[in-house]
Amino acid sequence: MSTTADDGAWLLQARSVSRRFGGLLAVDAVDLAVRRGSVHGLIGPNGAGKTTLLNLVAGVYRVSSGMLRFGARDITQHSTAKRARAGIRRTFQNLKLFGEMTALENVAIGLHAQMRAGFFDAVLSTPRHRREERSIRDRSMAVLHFVGLAGLAHVRAGALAYGHRRQLEIARAIVARPTLLLLDEPAAGLNVTEAAHVSELIARIRDDGTTVILVEHHMDVVMRVCDEITVLNYGRRLAHGTPGQIQEDPGVIEAYLGRSGENERAQA
Amino acid sequence: MSASFDPSARRRAVRPVTLLVVAALIVLPWIEPDKFALHILSLIAIASIAAMGLQVLLGYSGQLSIGQAAFYGIGAYTSALLTAKLGVPFPLALVGAGAAAAIASLLMVPITRLTGAYLAVATLGFSIIVYLFIQNEEWLTGGSYGFIGIPRAELFGYVLRDQMSSYYLNVGVAAIVYFTFARIEGSRFGRAINAIRQDADAARASGIGVTLLKSECFVIAAFVAGVAGSLYAHEVRYLAPNDFTFWKSIEMLIMVVIGGVGSLAGAILGAAVVVGLPEYLRAIGDYRMLVFGAILIATMLFGEGGLAALFATLGRRVAAVAMRSASKLPPGNEAAR
Repeated sequence: MSTTADDGAWLLQARSVSRRFGGLLAVDAVDLAVRRGSVHGLIGPNGAGKTTLLNLVAGVYRVSSGMLRFGARDITQHSTAKRARAGIRRTFQNLKLFGEMTALENVAIGLHAQMRAGFFDAVLSTPRHRREERSIRDRSMAVLHFVGLAGLAHVRAGALAYGHRRQLEIARAIVARPTLLLLDEPAAGLNVTEAAHVSELIARIRDDGTTVILVEHHMDVVMRVCDEITVLNYGRRLAHGTPGQIQEDPGVIEAYLGRSGENERAQA
Repeated sequence: MSASFDPSARRRAVRPVTLLVVAALIVLPWIEPDKFALHILSLIAIASIAAMGLQVLLGYSGQLSIGQAAFYGIGAYTSALLTAKLGVPFPLALVGAGAAAAIASLLMVPITRLTGAYLAVATLGFSIIVYLFIQNEEWLTGGSYGFIGIPRAELFGYVLRDQMSSYYLNVGVAAIVYFTFARIEGSRFGRAINAIRQDADAARASGIGVTLLKSECFVIAAFVAGVAGSLYAHEVRYLAPNDFTFWKSIEMLIMVVIGGVGSLAGAILGAAVVVGLPEYLRAIGDYRMLVFGAILIATMLFGEGGLAALFATLGRRVAAVAMRSASKLPPGNEAAR
């Protein structure tokens, strides 16, 4: 939403990014270039470093070496909150909703950085407070419509069905119209119908102008919705290309879609 | 702290009770003009102010402090010094006491990165330092001899000489604090600190500056604790270091927990129980703290929501029974929330 203008084709560039946990190199000199306006898939076997890479982009961890460019700026040293304010939003693999708040309030949190009213505005009920509250409510409601949860706006997030909670996380992440959306296994635990709904939702989010990085195990979701895919294995980049190229890459087939891969595919 | 964006439902549910309580507090001194009773009610009001501050800190933002007595003490001694030694008028000293406590709380900013037990122990450390300061800096605080000669509170040139007017002062300030904090619910600020309590990672990922907001809560809680300390100084007019020990911090924590974590009204109920109950139990002498302790345990056994939840459930039950007897509906619907 608030990125500086940059006419480059790449929205996000990770250059030789590494992350070490003690003796383990979870991400090892990975290059990642995400095209503006695309859905970029991040796949690989369990433990390949997908979520770690996503967390490096989100700012949960700092890189051990390498650098991150977001649009025209270097965000390598920025905190999570700062990156979020710059337009990088995310969902979590193990849902992190505010369980005691309603669905609508959860989405409203996503708009926090867009607004200014503080403690004294609330106490004095200033015009700014009232104006912002109205706009927060309208915008949040619109996004709940967008993801298909409008009817559940006043239900406590903790009381929502699992699939709905997944959708709510996405709603909270997109309400501020981020430039870059990081989705960490948004279809995990969903059935085929629900997963198809998520694919369709991701496509609509992209069409609204948000670039998406998608970590996902559901291969049908990945192949249907991704424009480009980066494959990780043992923390390294194994391959990079379109879904068609990836499906035919011999290295990928051997490491990931090979014998054990067939099983995974069947499970998915 | 929920149901913002749904103000109509909320207002209807809360307003009549609030109005009733306010009306009762206004007429009470005319029904019960006993000085001692009004003094105890004043002490309850003062304690509830500090407890409401801790409620914002713990119940809303999820930060456990067991050092609030430090800010209470700083407020009390600041107000005493300003009025007794420097001749500052009381209203100014009241605000000054809050400000002094708030400024002192800025020392806590580095520790707001801590959570849970680590944060609690750090706040405890701070309160020990403040206690030792009060105890040892005799030239300033009177040390263990205590601080004597604190003038009565005065407002607009009128000295609050009788117990009734100081009752109105203390209850009035408590009411202002209550209605101020009630505004936090359903605001951007309120939602954000609520979010931090429930999941700090998700809050950060939404662009919330967690450390800054946590610090703001510390400052707010410290300010009102300082105000409470000031009111206490002018109510009792004698300060001793022992009023500001670790135990005082624990008392405030008990108020919040038995009243119901997250409930503003609960903090007041908790203050009433912690300050009022031992007074009513005086008849049984040395056993009173034993009984008091047992009551605390029993309250916790009733459920996590504390007294606030207990009263809410009770209210719903009564309403359900009343509805049923009025309309003669078959039973079985009272469980619906």
